Amino acid sequence: MTGLEVENLSVRYGAVEAVRGLSLEVRPGQIVGLIGPNGAGKSSTLHAIMGSAPITGGDVRLDGTSIVGRRPEEVARRGVALVPEGRRIFGELTVDENLRLGLAGRSARTNGDGLARAHELFPILREFRSRQAGVLSGGQQQQLAIGRALAADPEILLLDEPSLGLAPKIVDIVFEALTQIRDAGLAVLLVEQRAQRTVALADVSHVLANGELRLTLGSKDAADTERLVAAYLA
Amino acid sequence: MSVARRLPEVLVPALLVVATALLGLAVSNYLEGYFVNTLVKVAIVVGLYVFIGNSGVLSFGQISFVAVGAWTAGVLTVPRADKPIAFPGIAHFLATTNVGNSASLALAAVVGGVFAFAVGLPLMRLSGLAAGIATFAVLEITNNVLGYEGLIGPALNGFSSVPPTTGIWQATIGCLICIAVAYAYQRTRFGRMLRATREDPAAAAAAGISIHRQRLVAFTLAGALAGFAGGLYVHLQPLAANDLFLDLTFITLAMLVVGGSGSLLGAVVGALAVNGIYTFFTAAVNTVDVFGWHLHVRAGTAEIVLGVLMVLVLILRPSGLTGGRELSLPRRRRALADLEKARATT
Amino acid sequence: MILGILSLQPLTWPTVATALALGGVYALMAVGIGLVFGVLRLVNFAYGQLIMAGGYALAYGSLWNFATWQSILLCFGVVLVLTVLMDRLVFRPLRTSSPTVMLVATFAVAFLLQNIALLKFGPLSKNVGSLAQLNAPWDIFGVQIKEIAVLAVVTALGCLFILQLLLTRTPLGLHMRAAAMDFRTARLLGVRANRVIGAAVIISGLLAATSAVFLSVQENSISSTFGLQDTIIVLAGVVVGGMNRPIPATLGGFSIGFATGILGGVLPADKTQYLTSFIFAAVIVVLLVRPNGLFTRGGGAVERV
Repeated sequence: MTGLEVENLSVRYGAVEAVRGLSLEVRPGQIVGLIGPNGAGKSSTLHAIMGSAPITGGDVRLDGTSIVGRRPEEVARRGVALVPEGRRIFGELTVDENLRLGLAGRSARTNGDGLARAHELFPILREFRSRQAGVLSGGQQQQLAIGRALAADPEILLLDEPSLGLAPKIVDIVFEALTQIRDAGLAVLLVEQRAQRTVALADVSHVLANGELRLTLGSKDAADTERLVAAYLA
Repeated sequence: MSVARRLPEVLVPALLVVATALLGLAVSNYLEGYFVNTLVKVAIVVGLYVFIGNSGVLSFGQISFVAVGAWTAGVLTVPRADKPIAFPGIAHFLATTNVGNSASLALAAVVGGVFAFAVGLPLMRLSGLAAGIATFAVLEITNNVLGYEGLIGPALNGFSSVPPTTGIWQATIGCLICIAVAYAYQRTRFGRMLRATREDPAAAAAAGISIHRQRLVAFTLAGALAGFAGGLYVHLQPLAANDLFLDLTFITLAMLVVGGSGSLLGAVVGALAVNGIYTFFTAAVNTVDVFGWHLHVRAGTAEIVLGVLMVLVLILRPSGLTGGRELSLPRRRRALADLEKARATT
Repeated sequence: MILGILSLQPLTWPTVATALALGGVYALMAVGIGLVFGVLRLVNFAYGQLIMAGGYALAYGSLWNFATWQSILLCFGVVLVLTVLMDRLVFRPLRTSSPTVMLVATFAVAFLLQNIALLKFGPLSKNVGSLAQLNAPWDIFGVQIKEIAVLAVVTALGCLFILQLLLTRTPLGLHMRAAAMDFRTARLLGVRANRVIGAAVIISGLLAATSAVFLSVQENSISSTFGLQDTIIVLAGVVVGGMNRPIPATLGGFSIGFATGILGGVLPADKTQYLTSFIFAAVIVVLLVRPNGLFTRGGGAVERV
């Protein structure tokens, strides 16, 4: 099968079990939301997929092949791109250099033009191409972080709280971009705290609490606030 | 924790020193010198431990305090009649002043401490690499000035005719004094506060501990112990500035790291173990019989064995042979307990 | 003693040329040390022993009647092999250790290599033979300037230029710069850790070999402590300049070399033995005023050691 499969995944830091037996799937052309309170294990899941968090059980498969035990750079080069929490822009490099760093994850796997797609999706990245990334606003930096991930022309896009600290208008831009990215055929796994918006956007959303899957919702369930709240409090 | 349970923390290192001394007394007169030398190195390493071990900050400057102490004790005890020849350019005040053995050691400690305080006052504000390089700079400057400046000592010539008062007794007692002082310090509020800053600087600072002040206290005390040990050293053998420079810095750091820089026991065990190996290979240059096995090694082997040993320990056991632990009876996570105590007292 | 500095000797052109040459060589060493620090957070105290090995290679090259280019080739070969060995045997197993452990480990490696050299090559210093002819003066607009000084300045500028192109114009350079800023994120983007580290190590070895050629010719006396004091001074310069960015580190290395050269020329003859003290006193003062680096903007991310 194509896409990303996470099966019975466990992540443990020392004595702390951050993720317990989590299973989910993301198919091409699909947005899967992963929501839940702080410390639920959302970021740990993304880092485990990338190979930068210690997996203690379960499997992660990319297009049917296990990628457990691969180094982060290998996972990236196989077509999984991460937009990390807090954006992690290289502030001393220019916007263009940041985008070209994204090319590091391209390898010989693809000949698609990720840079062009990033520029197309976020025109400001072309406009400000020779500016230092550090002087961009938070919203612009988030666009750069997503553009940088897209530069690698990935099959799977992982986003770790892309709306964190952004003005509502900017959040609209980011979420609209995610829709376009999905429509271009990517598999998107979106970690968010904005539960209602995420559920509305995503094809499927999973609620995570204490490292465990609590609830799975479809996009029609966005209005069902009570179920959401119940899952958070459970 | 009760006193009785903590007693092994100081008794074990002290007993190790006494055992070394007894072993030194038991062997031939010719070999005794090696044991005395070992005990002096233990004293130097204990001084090094007081700062590095308790603060967790690396200092390359410690040997400059040893050197200053050695200079103090040396210049003040060379017989007055020998001074015009030994120190042709020396300041009048130093040429005419002489003190006894014990006084020279006490003054060495004082001068070492004062120098360390003066140096530490500005330098302890630094951290990280800047602190490492700055203490290295102190070592370079001290070596440079002591090695060339005839006003304060023998300059290029090095010491001769210092009364050789450091025998096995003086070395043992000196060593035990250093251990006692180091232990007493780490049991005081100051010592516990500094160790708290080592474990978690942010939390310690939040608890109202001044990192700068606590490091300065330890640096000064370490300087005093270093000066004292330098005094012992100069009374053991004629020294020159380069005997108290990079090689000694390396060897003493190696001892501390090999033993485990986190504990007094580690400092003592490391100093004894490394010295044992070092001395064995140095002595083996003139062929040694080991259980009937005839061993012949070339000069310089000792340093190479030591270098390899140190790299291996760092790779395989970065917290040292003792793992940085004190030998004491059942314990809980002491650093946290210390932090709580420190919070309560400030 | 310090007050005697007031009667300085006049500054001459040959002194300036020597200072520029020393600054140039120290700048190369600074880049070599700084690049490895950037990607590994490792202060390589044993850098000087790479230079020592290069010096011995040149000395033996001349002893075996090698042509100059052969000696230099041997020097590069020896230094590169040693650099890679050092990385594989020591740095790689320590990659996840604390900066303190790594620094002390390189200290141990330095001591070890120095003593191996002492055992192997003996306490007497060796010279570099015909290469020393490069110390002959050239007449440049009526000023006598050593050939080697001119070569050193030109080579240093050339190396730095090429390196700057590599760092700013190639993907590898971009990856190295990114890795120095935030290795974790760089890897998440697909930057290959081993390749970046390998490149930094190789380049630092090439720069050590280049520096070894110039220092060997200038001093023409290779012993087991060759390169040690230079490395200590360069390390101080690198930290003073700003450890974790290539340009501040380079400027720091150049500045301390240039300052050493100038001071060495203008100090009165009876004060030159205190050159070390003056330089290191300046280092302390600068560190106290600008602990994060003289040539860096804002706070540098310096590790706790």
